[in-house]
Amino acid sequence: MSVGDLQLGAALCPPPGAAVYQLGTRCLPWDHQASLVLEFARSRGVEPAVLLEAAGLAPAASISPRELLALLAALQRLMPDADTPFVLGQLSLPGHCGLPSHALAQADDLRAALRLLCAHSARLSPLLTPRLIERPDELILVWTDACGLGAAQRGFVVDMQMSAVTALCRWRGGQVLPWRYSFNRTRPRDLAQHAVFLGADLRFGCQFDAMRLPLSAPMRWPAGHGMAAAALASGADPASGARGLLAALYDWLLPRHREAPPLDAAAAAFGVSAATLKRHLAAHGTHYQAEVDLVRGHVALYLMLLEGRGSEAVAAALGFQDRSNFRRSFKRWTGLLPALIR
Amino acid sequence: MKASSLFGPSRLRPPAFAPVLGVGHFGHALALAMALQLLAFALAADAKPVMQWSGTDIAGEGSLVAMAAVWLAQLRASRPGGRVTDWLCVGLAGLLLGQWADLLDEFWRLPKAVVWDNVLESTLLPLGALCLTIGLHHWRLEQRALGEQLVKRERLFREHRSVDAVTQLGDAGYMAAQIAIEQQQGRPGALVMLALEDGVGEGAGEGAGTLAGIARDHGLAEADRLLQALTHLLLLNLRAQDLLCRYAGDRFCVLMPGIAGTDAAAAAAAHLAGAVASLAHHGAAGLCVRPHARAVAMSIDPALPPQDQLLALARRLAV
Repeated sequence: MSVGDLQLGAALCPPPGAAVYQLGTRCLPWDHQASLVLEFARSRGVEPAVLLEAAGLAPAASISPRELLALLAALQRLMPDADTPFVLGQLSLPGHCGLPSHALAQADDLRAALRLLCAHSARLSPLLTPRLIERPDELILVWTDACGLGAAQRGFVVDMQMSAVTALCRWRGGQVLPWRYSFNRTRPRDLAQHAVFLGADLRFGCQFDAMRLPLSAPMRWPAGHGMAAAALASGADPASGARGLLAALYDWLLPRHREAPPLDAAAAAFGVSAATLKRHLAAHGTHYQAEVDLVRGHVALYLMLLEGRGSEAVAAALGFQDRSNFRRSFKRWTGLLPALIR
Repeated sequence: MKASSLFGPSRLRPPAFAPVLGVGHFGHALALAMALQLLAFALAADAKPVMQWSGTDIAGEGSLVAMAAVWLAQLRASRPGGRVTDWLCVGLAGLLLGQWADLLDEFWRLPKAVVWDNVLESTLLPLGALCLTIGLHHWRLEQRALGEQLVKRERLFREHRSVDAVTQLGDAGYMAAQIAIEQQQGRPGALVMLALEDGVGEGAGEGAGTLAGIARDHGLAEADRLLQALTHLLLLNLRAQDLLCRYAGDRFCVLMPGIAGTDAAAAAAAHLAGAVASLAHHGAAGLCVRPHARAVAMSIDPALPPQDQLLALARRLAV
């Protein structure tokens, strides 16, 4: 494994052993995301009771990611306005999620804020797991599924989270940062909301949902005192470091991208039987091979696009014996041939 | 004004029925009148044997009664109370009662000496139709008055799905469609786009004068109220043939037909930015925002797709 691969693994994954939550795990306190959504709806004229009824939810101490998705789906139905995910996102960070929110608001600089966001994503972004790649010349925030998102809601949640980070940076820094956005979906007909709430540099039809920030731009950021971050570092909110099942599997697979271990090995690592892991993945709308392919595809793209490696080197890094096998696999992962990626 | 009243009733509440002639329980009164008619028939007339019932007549007249009731309910659910609603509802009520008497006729036979049922049918139906006609006439006048309010918000065609919920302006898609019409006609015109910049807000924190800053510090409803104030202000500063739309977020765009040349367009943009700078928006709890706007302008490009022209303006504002 090369130096570049090692860096990638360390940067994108939390230390192993984080708690895992699933779609049905009631891990989201009511006063975090749920009350944010209800308050947003209320201030735009939709009664919270009506929204809850449409989502089939009753107030509870905590809700699960599945119930949060149902709430967002109801919001999409009742408030189909194009700016709904963006405005909701603007209001969602630093948010009201206890220590992680405080730490985010007190972060010393942008880099520290993004690191906090990634390390405590179970609180700050429970549906979509952000991963920060820190390169000498740019920061890249890649968004991967925490627990799986249906095709109908993926765009909504991605827009919401990207708008959240963009607005947080703008609020703290008091300036518009030159973020560049990539979306793993086709270009919408109208880009007005994206252009205004995110920025003008938008690319659709990409392999990742990611935000890139060149570090050449000057970045203002008010100094913070970092008290909440220190408390978090000493383990004050251990649940904030939990990972969604798919994110945890991604974390486990990424350092093993070369050997692509079989299902049994992954199940053993998670302490369940192969049949149970299979069933859990099916409940999250995916299967094991798809997740392996996703990780290996991401690694291949990382090496080609950011490290500038040739097909041969990438094939070797992923454990392929010959190039034609790699070409075939790459085509299956990304729908493109390696030569077209450049 | 309360926040909820700005946006009207919430979107899924069961409809509230408008009062008719000041009577909130108009529906109940109507039901009572129908019950009295029924009682009168039951007391004064002889029931027809089932063999003499005419299926087609009952179905035809019954469905007219049902339809009149549905129209009445829809009308009251979709209109505010007032003169036009009164005329239309009284007219429909007349039709409904007349038709009801007609329907009851199918089940009971009145003695020859009784004339009130004929009077009922032959007066209620035409009187109802007359009231309905008068109501429709007033409705047209009302529409004309409303249309004057909508000048500068819509042109040529109406598309309710393109209306922004906060400002009641057309959205980016509506603007693009309007630009396309101008392109087809080959007319010159200017496009202006405005964005709020960090102004002077009497509140602490960075970005206190931006829309996102106000939403953060004072709540989303307060930010939406500023957008509504800006909408009114910009409408006052436009010519009758101009069209104002909300592009997205804090961006407004204006289509100005007939303005040719970059200088004229830039002057129009500067005027609108100046108008925004003159605004002092007073919100709740002593909040006072003096917004600043930046405006950019361009002439309509006859070849470029409208959405791309708007995007180009948005890009220029983002720098």
